[in-house]
Amino acid sequence: MLFKKLIDVLTLGSEHPVKRLIAYYTVLVAVMVLLATFFPTVDRLLGGQGPSGQVMAGELLTDGLAGAAPPAAEIASKRIELAITTVAMLLGALLLMLPVTWVYMSTKASNQGHNQQVAQTLIFLPIVVAGIVMVVQNSLALAFSLAGVVAAVRFRTTLRDSRDVVYVFLSIAVGFAAGIHNLIVAAIVSAVFNFVLIMTWRYDFGRNVLQPTAAGHWGEPLKELAATAGDSSVPDRDLMMSLDQKQAATLAERFERVQSLLGPRGKKPRYNGILSVSTEQLTEAQAIIEGVLEKMTRRWKLDEVDTNEGKPSGLYYLVRVRKDTVPDEIITEIRAQGGDRVINAELEIAPENKVKKNDKFSQPQPA
Amino acid sequence: MRTTALTPLLLLALLAGCRDGRMASAVERDSTTLRQREATLASRLGDAPPDSTTPIARWVLPPGLSEISGLALTKDMRLLAHNDEAAVIYEIDYRRGTVVKQFMLGDTPIRDDFEAIAVAGERLFMTTSKGRVFEFREGPDGAQVPFTVHDSGLAKECEFEGLAFDSTDNALLLACKRILTKGLKDFVILYKWSLAGGLKTPPEEIRIPVADVIQGTRFKRITPSDITVDPHTGHYLILASQERSLLTVGKDGSVIGLRSLPPGHPMAEGIAATPDGLLIVSDEATKTPATITLYRVR
Repeated sequence: MLFKKLIDVLTLGSEHPVKRLIAYYTVLVAVMVLLATFFPTVDRLLGGQGPSGQVMAGELLTDGLAGAAPPAAEIASKRIELAITTVAMLLGALLLMLPVTWVYMSTKASNQGHNQQVAQTLIFLPIVVAGIVMVVQNSLALAFSLAGVVAAVRFRTTLRDSRDVVYVFLSIAVGFAAGIHNLIVAAIVSAVFNFVLIMTWRYDFGRNVLQPTAAGHWGEPLKELAATAGDSSVPDRDLMMSLDQKQAATLAERFERVQSLLGPRGKKPRYNGILSVSTEQLTEAQAIIEGVLEKMTRRWKLDEVDTNEGKPSGLYYLVRVRKDTVPDEIITEIRAQGGDRVINAELEIAPENKVKKNDKFSQPQPA
Repeated sequence: MRTTALTPLLLLALLAGCRDGRMASAVERDSTTLRQREATLASRLGDAPPDSTTPIARWVLPPGLSEISGLALTKDMRLLAHNDEAAVIYEIDYRRGTVVKQFMLGDTPIRDDFEAIAVAGERLFMTTSKGRVFEFREGPDGAQVPFTVHDSGLAKECEFEGLAFDSTDNALLLACKRILTKGLKDFVILYKWSLAGGLKTPPEEIRIPVADVIQGTRFKRITPSDITVDPHTGHYLILASQERSLLTVGKDGSVIGLRSLPPGHPMAEGIAATPDGLLIVSDEATKTPATITLYRVR
């Protein structure tokens, strides 16, 4: 909490990710400088000079004739130093990977979501790798252990996004750097990686520049839609802006399909509602629903069947409800006839005045 | 908010102040130890008979010096040592058992198979196993000193392991560990490379018949691991690691004597002799840590 408050102070309470990252690394560097100033061991660890890897000027050599074993106090001192070193390395790796996990979780597309297992792996992996490297401490063995770790992690981990592999590799790199007592390299790799990643995410780096973005494609129509409706904003406009090309194209196709079903502008639309049903027994539920719709609506049309494995499938109908029928009666009838076969049923009716203008229409939820 | 922001700075200032106090106490503690060690060594020197095979001091080197290779003494009797993989030179206070300083060749230490070091006045030399001799000057602690490289052109003739400076001839002495030329297998080969010629002239070869060396012993060959010049006699002292022996030869290559090293030298890689009668031998780490051992020979 104190750390969070300190970052809040440094960022003046800003939630801007880059500002918060800069603040985090600033605090981290300040703490490291502080520790390096106070503890020479930490200073050596930051620069890739392990306590046993580099001989320092002024270092006292052990008297080989004084006795077979060095004094107990000296052994204890070395063990304490080793323990402090190990804790410092592992904590260092952890602190350097924390912002990476935040960036990872923040920059994943909203519809994909981040993989919690990957996020946790990014935390655990460098700690384990650092431990392995500290034990190995030999260049040839380092090469072999690197190959082993990479192979084990890569081929035993199923990743949805190929970019997730990069996070895992970064995790290994930070772990290795910490393990060979080079936290400076680990810190720089971590910081640069995070900032580059945020920039690529912010500016959608790598998109096909010949194709318009979803924001470019839909921004103006959405504004127009909002203005025609007389409202100051469109509720899900920000969400629409975050769509990628594939999602935008899917949505556009759906818009066009609905528009063709609604009929030409100025005329009374053929349908005025959307019925959404969730079911695990698609065929049986479909027969029951269509029987009810045939009986209780003026006209209906099956718009989309969303088949899912391992979770309920969705049925979407465009309906024109009779004037003398209350929409809830249709839902009640479907639930009554469907029983357990219908998990959920919703009927959304468009307001008549808005439907006439073709300005807004309740959309089925995207698959 | 200002107070909160200032807190880390105040802490930093406080800790920086404390640091001096902590360092001062460490220096005080170390200096007491060093005084004790100096007194102990003086006492052992007083008790030890000349030509003793009992070490008067043995310093266990830290893991960073586990591959210690060559030893050399400066004009003012300071001991220089180096590892065999990187061009980092350490000054070791052999009387009190402490590392005085270290400096390296180049911005990042040059990595090669460094085998030995020699001091010729202000000039320092290190040789690789392929006979490439790096020349440089001594630097202060932590310095990165410039260097030049002289190629002996003998990489195909032999694999070098020892280097020394013969001040009477103003020449570098290179000891060959493994002879690659077929016809010379029956000799221990030394090369004398004159500094007067700026290391431009070809090195002069000194042949020591192996038969003369090994007669009366169980050895079949002698494999030098370092060489130094005895400051009293001017003889060449050749350390043979595998045979755990010390060979003494004259300037012309005549064999003067071969004696075994005392126990405790699993891999003797470096040798130096001081004018006040100390012989210093360095051992690479094997199952035991690397050490430097001092003997009183005069």
